[in-house]
Amino acid sequence: MIKTRFGYGRSSAPATPGERAARFRRVPYRPGVPRPGVPRPGVPRAARPRTAVARHGWSGPALSRAGAVLAVVALVGLLPGLSGRDPALTVLRGRSAEQEATPEALAAIRAQLGLDAGPFALLGRWLGGVARGDLGVSWVSGRPVLPDLLRATGVSLTLMTFAALVALVVTAALTAPALLAAARGSRRRSGGALAAALTALPEFLLASVLLLIGAVALRAFPPYGWDSARHAVLPALALGLPAGGLIGMLLSDAVSRAAGEPWTATWAAAGAGRARTAAALLRRALPGLLPQVALVLIGLTGGAVAVERVFAVPGLGRVTLGAAQTQDLPVLQGGVLILLILGAGAGVGAELLRRAVLGPALRAGALPVAAHAPAPHRGLWITAGAALAVLTVLIVAGLAGDPYAAGRGRLTAPSWTVASGPDLFTGSAWALPLGADASGRDLLARLGHGAAVTIGTAVLLCAACLLLGLLIGLLPRAATGPIEVANAAPPVLAGLLVAAVTGPAAGAAAAAVLLVGWAPLAAHTVALVAEARARPHIAILPVLGVGPARALWRHVVPAVLGPLTRHAVLRIPGIALALAALGFLGLGPQPPAPDWGLVLAEGMPYVERAPWTVLGPCLSLVALSVLAVTGSALGRTR
Amino acid sequence: MPHPRVRLAAAAAAGLLLLTGCFADAGEPATAGGDDRIALAMLLPPRSGLSPFSDDAFKLSRWSTAETLVTLDAAGAAQPALATAFAPTRDPRTWRFEIRQGVTFHDGTPLTVASVVAALTAATEASPRPRILDGVDLTVRPDPAAPGTAVLVSTADADPLIPQRLSSPQLSILAAGAYGADGVVNPVGRGTGPFTLISSNTTTATLDRYDGYWGGPAEVAGIDVSFVPDGTARAAALRAGTADVVEAIPVSQAALLDAARVHEVPMPRTNTLYLNTAKGAFADAGLRAAARQAIKREPLVANVYEGRADIAAGLLGPALPWAAGARLPRTETAAKPVGGAEIVLATFTDRAELPEVAVQLQQQLEAAGFRVRQEVREYAQIEADALAGAFDAFILSRATVLDSGDPVAYMYSDFACAGSFNIAQLCDPAVDAALTKAAGIVAGPSRHAAIMEAERLILQSDAAIPLLHERVIQGESGAFTGVQRDSRERALITAGTAPA
Repeated sequence: MIKTRFGYGRSSAPATPGERAARFRRVPYRPGVPRPGVPRPGVPRAARPRTAVARHGWSGPALSRAGAVLAVVALVGLLPGLSGRDPALTVLRGRSAEQEATPEALAAIRAQLGLDAGPFALLGRWLGGVARGDLGVSWVSGRPVLPDLLRATGVSLTLMTFAALVALVVTAALTAPALLAAARGSRRRSGGALAAALTALPEFLLASVLLLIGAVALRAFPPYGWDSARHAVLPALALGLPAGGLIGMLLSDAVSRAAGEPWTATWAAAGAGRARTAAALLRRALPGLLPQVALVLIGLTGGAVAVERVFAVPGLGRVTLGAAQTQDLPVLQGGVLILLILGAGAGVGAELLRRAVLGPALRAGALPVAAHAPAPHRGLWITAGAALAVLTVLIVAGLAGDPYAAGRGRLTAPSWTVASGPDLFTGSAWALPLGADASGRDLLARLGHGAAVTIGTAVLLCAACLLLGLLIGLLPRAATGPIEVANAAPPVLAGLLVAAVTGPAAGAAAAAVLLVGWAPLAAHTVALVAEARARPHIAILPVLGVGPARALWRHVVPAVLGPLTRHAVLRIPGIALALAALGFLGLGPQPPAPDWGLVLAEGMPYVERAPWTVLGPCLSLVALSVLAVTGSALGRTR
Repeated sequence: MPHPRVRLAAAAAAGLLLLTGCFADAGEPATAGGDDRIALAMLLPPRSGLSPFSDDAFKLSRWSTAETLVTLDAAGAAQPALATAFAPTRDPRTWRFEIRQGVTFHDGTPLTVASVVAALTAATEASPRPRILDGVDLTVRPDPAAPGTAVLVSTADADPLIPQRLSSPQLSILAAGAYGADGVVNPVGRGTGPFTLISSNTTTATLDRYDGYWGGPAEVAGIDVSFVPDGTARAAALRAGTADVVEAIPVSQAALLDAARVHEVPMPRTNTLYLNTAKGAFADAGLRAAARQAIKREPLVANVYEGRADIAAGLLGPALPWAAGARLPRTETAAKPVGGAEIVLATFTDRAELPEVAVQLQQQLEAAGFRVRQEVREYAQIEADALAGAFDAFILSRATVLDSGDPVAYMYSDFACAGSFNIAQLCDPAVDAALTKAAGIVAGPSRHAAIMEAERLILQSDAAIPLLHERVIQGESGAFTGVQRDSRERALITAGTAPA
């Protein structure tokens, strides 16, 4: 291996594209870099930046990962004790739903499973088994855990790969305009409205709609099963479209930012071709996103429950959810362990890849800085205005109606005619612009009344996730494990844990969402901070006598806050849906509250017969997402 | 050394190829109508590796792979199956069953007295015991008077329902090889029915015709089962032609299907509003009566169930045909003024219609002056609280006859002081006495009369307000005839099921 000195401590802009490419290509990633105490040639020690990567040894993240995995697995083991739900009862229900839970039956199960030994002894026994490669036997089915879990893992990874292909196509389509504009030297940027809309589409809704289109209307794909690649198409689309929206949004954002860096002007002056510039822009933008991509992909294994259910895919998400519900601890612990290992593996892979691509510049503190912020185009104002108008009309018009009165006729279609007569102002004679739900309630009124609490809660929670993610992300070494664990563990696990500790209390759902919601933002923070610290003007700060705290708060945090905020607001609809999704645990909004997530869930069985039952809440979420994303883009440029 | 990107691409391609090998090994899935195999879409995947001692027993019986000594006819009377004749002996605690001769298991071994004794003994020794044996101490032994042809089944106390109990799929007779030393039961290739189970996992199961079936070979070549938890997907399979027979189509989907493909079967299930008689507003019998008067069943059936349910006149519905004729008149408690009493109305999400029922009931109760708060969770998350009496009112879809075809066990567990499922917290000596009396009577009209007397007492207490009786909606493509529409959910595909 040849170690080149080329580029260390040099100016940020390479002289020619060829030179820059050559530099990157010839510096492969080598484990063990950096080696503290070994002076690097060409760079004075004092000036060596204390970048995240430079401080980022191997023992730290490894310890952090191991600790986080152990903590979660132990917590899972203590779940029955925390929740006060007798595992003997839940296991009995798992085997025989309507059997009387007689004391004899429960005692028999306890004896059979050895539950009387207590949770700590069980945990110890399980850990001993894991050390021998034995994950035990399912409490419910009596089958060995490992083979079943490995099969489910294979299915989940296959599905994830197909979904990743879909996401790749979507990402490419969403990023292409930004990339082309940047390569042309245009300073315009997209507002990401389309990406925001895609991201706001709930997977379970997409799954049902795709099923009806792909299997019933077109008869092109089988409605369920897992026998051939044809079976993977519909579920992969349902998972890949929102994932691609999220990644596409983040990537075009990063490309636009990279286009503002001075080297692009140098390249343009040097006559670099558009294709070459575009490739370099991608290369510049991708590394910061790789951890995000890894998180999204891993989220597709444990978090694909809804899609797996619709298409009857025997993946890990369904297995762990079922095990969590019946408190089948061996399966749950094994499933969580596998998910966490996958998460950590993807995290390590993304980190290796990121360093391989960005390595030399990152280590050298030579990352360029955007000279100018990309300018918003007029379309952005129009999109934001339209989304705001939709939401305003929805709320103003909706507040006039009664969200609870169930007298409008089951699944009445939308109608715009206003009945005349004395009833005009009592509410009952108003038109149903959005139709009625299955209980005969005015959907417009429900959405209008639910807007305040849905939007308010989601925005507050999003802000909390952002803050928490930022704070934890600033401690990259300790944060690695918790980030990957919080992301890879199935979201329902957080709900179960919180429900176990607090019971159905107010704010419990918010706590559960917060428990996992910060992770992607923290991961993004880690990547952005590492890049920010590798910029010359920040790297030089210690030399100038600027203290680390001041450097952090005055220079690093402001540099990362913009993209981080845009990322965070992209997750607002997801947060609103996640809150409603915890309803099955008795957390979050309870019926008959007109929370948007609940309204959407209540409409799901009627998606084909009465599409308006899902169209209203879905479009409301899309409008919210678009407004948040375009609004944050506008706010950033001022 | 190849270029890193080339290597990366090669690795990615190889990985993708490997992953596509991760599909189930079933090969091309059978499509409906293409052959004489039935494509069947079922609701729940096997929970316990198809052990007959769990709920999975009903799958074995719906596929006609495992059989019992006795079956029940439409009226709930016991009929011969693997036992050709059965009768009580002079000792009322012992029944004698003559074993059918010439029956072979799918693994080739013959059905003998020894295999019957072993199978039933395994059930009594299972941990926990199958629910059909709750509270029953059952012993099985060969009949010494008729070696090799009959078994004696005894209980500790005289049990008039022995033949009915032995009709439960949980007491299916499998070959000796099915019962593992560790208590795990594997029914693959070990039954006696017209179809032999070839393989099963959490998404599919495959059964082939068993040519050595004692009742003559089945008309269809086999069954390809898919387990599809999502109702929209199951209904879609019928419309897309992927499935010939579909279990449990949700009410919300039934309207999308051709009416000729939709078959409604009354279920021995009653949606009941249980009122907490021990504490809260409904400890007051007058307020319970007010709630009873406030509830209108027609809108529930018409709106939530779109007419696909029966209005309940009592705890027992049309799936027990004798109940309506034997029902006794009741004297009703007078209602008290409600005056804004606060109640918590709870239900669960596992049955999709229940939350909608809760919405309607909340409206009706609020119209009567109650102040109502809802609590809706998944069943597993709410059962313990409901049993502990945490709610004032609980909507439950309750199976009224589990395995024996007889409702006394359900009424006892739900309404007796010592009942283990007493959500209403009812404790009334008169109800207890009536239930104990009914439990001791042999199946027949006099037992029915005693059951209806107990129902009268329970309903007079207003501890439970029966709302409606569900129907299970079965979808059939029409490509096969003779698909069973069984309200007990025991039979589905049989030897007589044939291509149309």
